[in-house]
Amino acid sequence: MPYIKNPTVQKDMRVSYSPTYTFFGAEQMLRVRFHGRGGQGAKVASRVLGTAAFLEGYCAQDFPLYGAERRGAPITAFTRISREPILERGVISEPDMVIILDETLLDDPQANPVSGIKEGGIVFINTAHSPAEAKDKHKVAERVITLDITKIGLDMLGLPVLSTLAGGVAARIAGIEEDSLRKAVEKEASAILTDEKLITKNLEASLFCFHAIHSLEVKTTEAIGKESPVIDVPFEPALISSPTINTTGNTPLRKTGNWRVFKPVWNYEACTKCMTCVARCPDGCIAMNEDGFPYTDYDNCKGCLICVEECPVKAIEKVREVHT
Amino acid sequence: MARTREMLTGNTSVAWGVRLAEVDYVPTYPITPQTEIIETLAKWIYDGVMDARCVSLDSEHSMITAAGAASATGVRVFTATSSQGLLYGFEMLYTVAGWRVPFVMVNVSRGLSSPITLEPDHNDILAARDSGFLQIHCETCQEALDSILMAYRLAEDERVLLPIFVNMDGFHLSFTREPVEIPDIDEVRRFLPPYQSNHAFFKASQPMAQGLAVIGGSSYSYFKYQMHLASMKALIVYQEVSEEFNKIFGRSYNTTEGYMTHDAEYILVMSNSFSTLGKAAIEKVRKKGMKAGLLRLRLLRPFPDADLKAILKGKKAVAVIDQNISVGKGGIWYSEIAGALYHEKNKPLLLSFIGGLGGKNISAQEFEFIFNAMIKAFNTGEIETPRLLYTEGEWREMERLKSIAGKTYNK
Repeated sequence: MPYIKNPTVQKDMRVSYSPTYTFFGAEQMLRVRFHGRGGQGAKVASRVLGTAAFLEGYCAQDFPLYGAERRGAPITAFTRISREPILERGVISEPDMVIILDETLLDDPQANPVSGIKEGGIVFINTAHSPAEAKDKHKVAERVITLDITKIGLDMLGLPVLSTLAGGVAARIAGIEEDSLRKAVEKEASAILTDEKLITKNLEASLFCFHAIHSLEVKTTEAIGKESPVIDVPFEPALISSPTINTTGNTPLRKTGNWRVFKPVWNYEACTKCMTCVARCPDGCIAMNEDGFPYTDYDNCKGCLICVEECPVKAIEKVREVHT
Repeated sequence: MARTREMLTGNTSVAWGVRLAEVDYVPTYPITPQTEIIETLAKWIYDGVMDARCVSLDSEHSMITAAGAASATGVRVFTATSSQGLLYGFEMLYTVAGWRVPFVMVNVSRGLSSPITLEPDHNDILAARDSGFLQIHCETCQEALDSILMAYRLAEDERVLLPIFVNMDGFHLSFTREPVEIPDIDEVRRFLPPYQSNHAFFKASQPMAQGLAVIGGSSYSYFKYQMHLASMKALIVYQEVSEEFNKIFGRSYNTTEGYMTHDAEYILVMSNSFSTLGKAAIEKVRKKGMKAGLLRLRLLRPFPDADLKAILKGKKAVAVIDQNISVGKGGIWYSEIAGALYHEKNKPLLLSFIGGLGGKNISAQEFEFIFNAMIKAFNTGEIETPRLLYTEGEWREMERLKSIAGKTYNK
C-alpha cells in the first residue's frame, strides 16, 4: 500500500466505542438484511416486516438494493425497526439478523450474505438441512435457524415465491405480534396480487412459517462501524484509472445455473432426438451427445423448464433441486 | 378523505403529491430509479382515481418539450426523470424555463456515466443549476410529497412563473419506504387553488405567439434578467408559501434547515437524503461534548443567501460535504457558499469535502474525520481543500478489483 498516508489528525481524536447490549425495544434499533434472488421475494419480505412493525407502532424503514433488474440475480433488501426516529439510510452492513432466501448465495463470494453480522446475531437459512448441518456446511459462526420455506411455498402456494413466507419468519424472530403480521401480509399481498385466493394462501403460508419458528430473544447492539481511516487518494495514470477491464475470458468462471428450483431430466427411452429442446433453450445450454441425445449444461441451466413444456413426447421431467 | 399514514417509498410519495395537486397532464419517459413514479400515476389514471392525461413520449427531450408546451396552454403539468434522462433532455430545460411555464419536474438523483451507475449523487441535478428552474432538494419521503404541493404554489405565483425541480436521491429515498402522512384533499385544495394562467393561455380562441426569436443582445438581456429577478422574488414567495403550509399541515420547511445549529461552533453543510447520516453523526459527536450542528440546503435556486449567512455567522468552522464533483474544480456548493460568505465580517473557516459520489456510504469514521479536521483548522488555521472522503478499506477493495481487471503497470 505505498500510496496511503494516514492523516495524523485522525488518530488523535479517534473515538473508541464500547458496544452496549440492550434488549430490542428499549432504545436500540433492529437491523435486518434479506438476501435472495430476483423474483424470489426478498424485497416484499422486507416490506412485510417493515409494514408489520409500522402497524405495531414502531418507526420502520425498508429498502431494496438491486442493480440492472433481472430474475435470478442476487439482491438484498433491508428493514430497520426502532422506537426512536431512524437516523440511518442505505445498506445495512452490520445486521442483527440475516434472512437468506436462497441457500446457494452462501457459496457466492460476491453476495456473501453473512458478512458483517454482529456477534450474537441470527442467521435464518431457507434449507432442508437442520441448523447444525447448515452451520457446519456453510461455516456460519452465529446462531442459525433453518426451515425449508421453498417446500412450504410449493406445497401451500404452488409456487417457489417466498415473499410473505420469509416475511413471516422474520416477523417471528423480530418479536412482531401475529396480528400485525396478518395485517401486513394482507396489505402487501394485495398491493401486488389481484387473485384473492392467492392472497389468502399467502396469508396462510406466512402464518404457518411464523408459527414454525420458535420465538427468540434478539439482542440489538449499536452498529460500530469498521475502523478504517480516511486516506489520501493518489493520482494514477489512465492506464490504471480508466474504467476498463483488460483481462479476458472470465465469463465461463461465473456459473449462472446455481439458483434453479427445478431441473430438467431427460428420459432417453422416450426421447425421439427431435432436437426441439435444443432449439428452444433460451440460454443455449442444451447440446447433443455422441448418440444424438440431448443433455444440458447444469452449471448454466437456469431451470426455466421451457424444454419440459416444449418437448412433443414429454420425455423431460422437472425434478426439484435439493442442494446437498 | 382524511389524513392517513402509510409506509411509502420516495417515488410513491411524489406520486401522492402529484395526485393531490390534481395535475392535468403527465408526459413521461422511463428511467431507473424514477420509473415507479410514472407507473404509479399511470395506474391511478387508468383506474380512474386521478383525472389526468398520461402520455409516453419518445425521449426526455420530447417529454420536457411536451411538459413546457402543455403548461403554456395554462394547464397544470408534472413530469419526472433522472440522471442520463435529464441530460438527454437538457436543451429543453433552458428553453421551457424561458417560456416562463410553471410546471413541476422531479429529478431522482443518480450518478452520471461514465462509468455508468445507479446510485445517487447530485451532478445530474446541479448540471441544471443555471437553467432558470427553481430547485428544492428533499431529505425524507414526507418532504418529497410536501414539496410537490409547495412547488406548485411557488412556481405558479404571479411573481415567479418559472418551472421548478423537486430533487430526491435515487434508492436512498426513491426506493426507501418510511412512514408518510398523506394529506387530506380538501386541505390541499385550500392550500393550492387551481392554476389560473394570465400570461400563457395558448388556446385556439385566443391566439398568441410564444417562444420568440430576438436578435441583438438588448432584448435577450432583458428577458434573461427578468427570469433572474423572478427567481429572486421566489425567496419572498417561499416564506409565504412555507408559513401557510405549516399553518394548514403542521410541517415546516425553511429554505435551509438548521439542525442543532443554534449554539453550535462547528457546522456540517449537506443536502438531500445523506443529511440523515449527518444528523446521526451530529448527535454522536454532541454526546462527546463537541458543539456541532448541521445545515441542510433545501431551496437551492434561488440561493437562500441571507438564511444561510444567518446560520453560519460567527461559527468557528464550516465543512461543506458536496455530493458532487466539478471536475477540475471540486465541490459545487463549496464555491457557492464561499461566494456567499466572502463579504461577511465574522466569517467562519470553510472546509471542502467530496463525499457520497455514486451513493458511496459516508461512514461514522469519515464524519469523525471531518469534525477533527474542523477543530484542527480552527486551532492551526491550516485548511486542506478539497478532500475526497475515502477510506483505507475502500482503497484496498479498489486495489483488489483493479487486479482482477488486469490493471497493472510498472511503477
